Amino acid sequence: MEVMEKTEVLPLPVFDKVRFDRWGLTEMTAGRESSAATFSAHEGENGIEINGQSVNYHYLSDELKKAGVLIMHIGDAKLRYPELVDRVLGRVINPSSDQLVADNFVQYNTGAFIYVPKNIRLTEPLHLYLNHLANEQDTVAHVLVYLEQNSELTLLAESQTVGVNGGKVSLLSEVVAGPGSKLTYVNFDDFDQNTTAYLNRQAKVGQGAVVDWVNASFSDGQTLNQLTSTLLGEGAQSDVKVASFTNGRQTQGFNTEVKNVGRHTVGHIFQRGVILDSANLIFNGLGKIIKGSKGSDAQQESRVLMLSRRGRGEANPLLLIDESDVTAGHAASVGQVDDQQLYYLMSRGLPEVLARRLVVRGFVGEVLAAIPDQRLLDRVVAAIERKLNDENGTQ
Amino acid sequence: MKTLKITDLHVEIEGKEILKGVNLTVNTGEIHAIMGPNGTGKSTLSQTIMGHPAYQITRGTIELDGQDLAEMTVDERARAGLFLAMQYPAEIQGVTNFEFMRAAVNARRPEDDQVDVMTFMKDLDRNREFLSMSVEMSSRYLNEGFSGGEKKRNEILQMLMIKPTIAILDEIDSGLDIDALKVVSKGVNSMRSDNFATLMITHYQRLLDYIVPDYVHVMMGGKIVKTGGPALAKRLEGEGYAALRDELGLQIALTDEDV
Repeated sequence: MEVMEKTEVLPLPVFDKVRFDRWGLTEMTAGRESSAATFSAHEGENGIEINGQSVNYHYLSDELKKAGVLIMHIGDAKLRYPELVDRVLGRVINPSSDQLVADNFVQYNTGAFIYVPKNIRLTEPLHLYLNHLANEQDTVAHVLVYLEQNSELTLLAESQTVGVNGGKVSLLSEVVAGPGSKLTYVNFDDFDQNTTAYLNRQAKVGQGAVVDWVNASFSDGQTLNQLTSTLLGEGAQSDVKVASFTNGRQTQGFNTEVKNVGRHTVGHIFQRGVILDSANLIFNGLGKIIKGSKGSDAQQESRVLMLSRRGRGEANPLLLIDESDVTAGHAASVGQVDDQQLYYLMSRGLPEVLARRLVVRGFVGEVLAAIPDQRLLDRVVAAIERKLNDENGTQ
Repeated sequence: MKTLKITDLHVEIEGKEILKGVNLTVNTGEIHAIMGPNGTGKSTLSQTIMGHPAYQITRGTIELDGQDLAEMTVDERARAGLFLAMQYPAEIQGVTNFEFMRAAVNARRPEDDQVDVMTFMKDLDRNREFLSMSVEMSSRYLNEGFSGGEKKRNEILQMLMIKPTIAILDEIDSGLDIDALKVVSKGVNSMRSDNFATLMITHYQRLLDYIVPDYVHVMMGGKIVKTGGPALAKRLEGEGYAALRDELGLQIALTDEDV
């Protein structure tokens, strides 16, 4: 109870230009439900599916087991591997950084732990399906990813709403990437329009390590997205790609940050957002270059495409530079579909609807190209089609 | 046989009249060249035929086999057999040349008879090699970062893939070195048949050495003022447009003329 009282005095996180005080994110009740069914996993793939409290799919090949790779429910991990958990939990995201973070640390009762030992390089991706059971209760989840020295992993994370009663999701994901390790972390967020989500994913990147994010934010409900890479070690790198389609009346707010701490670190942010109907989409990009990070590079490019006059979009780049020996740059824009592009495509016989789709899909093409799995890519493309079709239905 | 018939065409852009009564008939099997000084309305004519929304027809008609183009959208005109190789093709990020061209080919086919990927790839490779284009071009984004010469070749490649009935080539020779010009001309000449017509727009006679036209039209002041054979182009190269204007007794100021 002491901790509970403490959280209430912490401030809410700051998402510039995003009003979320009425979303009820401070009033969550961690659900206790389980599921009997599997919704997302495909037989034979390495990974885990967690629905509410239950693990409905779990498979690791003998080779991965023998190598010491772990993927399990976070509750199991705390019992079986407390020392490993302790090296990540609360080490990347400060538990008292704000009220929503603190609430998650107090309440979370589901989530996953993923571990790759030293020098183990996975050639096939691991799948993490973490679904929200929408039966009057909320999902409060915590994911931990720990890559030891010189290991390598591609993690494909997908989340959706199961059920029709909406609710709220709080998901914190903490990543520790040891020296020389390489992580590609793909997130496909696909919660329904009745689900309000607070998604906070952060990585600490060690010496010579690489953490590449690909976030496909396709949820239909209110969503806050925090995504942070802290480049601690010399030569650490992070490439952050975000693609989002917002439609209906939803708001999606993004804080996307890279902090250059170590020398010769490289951080690139690339964001593409498409706005339909009367939706809001706000990209806040932050490049933070700490004194001493000599020879580092921080770049960001955020672009918003408005397909509706009723929507609102913003791309706010911010660079805070406290070191002179660096290269940094930013570009941001909010615009509409280029008439010359449409004309060109139509002059080749493509009907206007198809021409528009090509331009829109092309707009997020660089993010889609970074998704290393065909089945997941197909799901994202289907989500794009769904959002565009919904739009046509409402006009 | 297909016929593109332009009758007394008047066109304005942003309230300014550019075309002032163009008459021209192009039949399949024929190669036409339109020459003329800068600012005389050659590109306006090509964009108006294709249906660029900025150009307003104020009088006259353009008909394709008797059908009024003014009643057709840009994509309908394209599917009816028209093609415009543009002077400044748009760049489209995130859409590969390959997927774009396949979409363009499929737009002409019924939904239950779309071209299969292997057949399309073979066709694309053959045409690409014919135009001496690199393998990478099919996976590159549409025109993005293409040099001027690459863009022109890519326009011709699209023409070879789409196989239009009437192709308008708007200054396809501008900015090309002699080798690239030969490649582009080779592409156009390969299309030459009784079922294909070309309307080439150019400043220079040079292009016509490689693609020999049946008819040469000279445009000045928003009208076609003279029509002849290939010899007319040679004469213009020697004497210039001003001499022809004066011979015809026209009162037209040429944009690039020294006063």
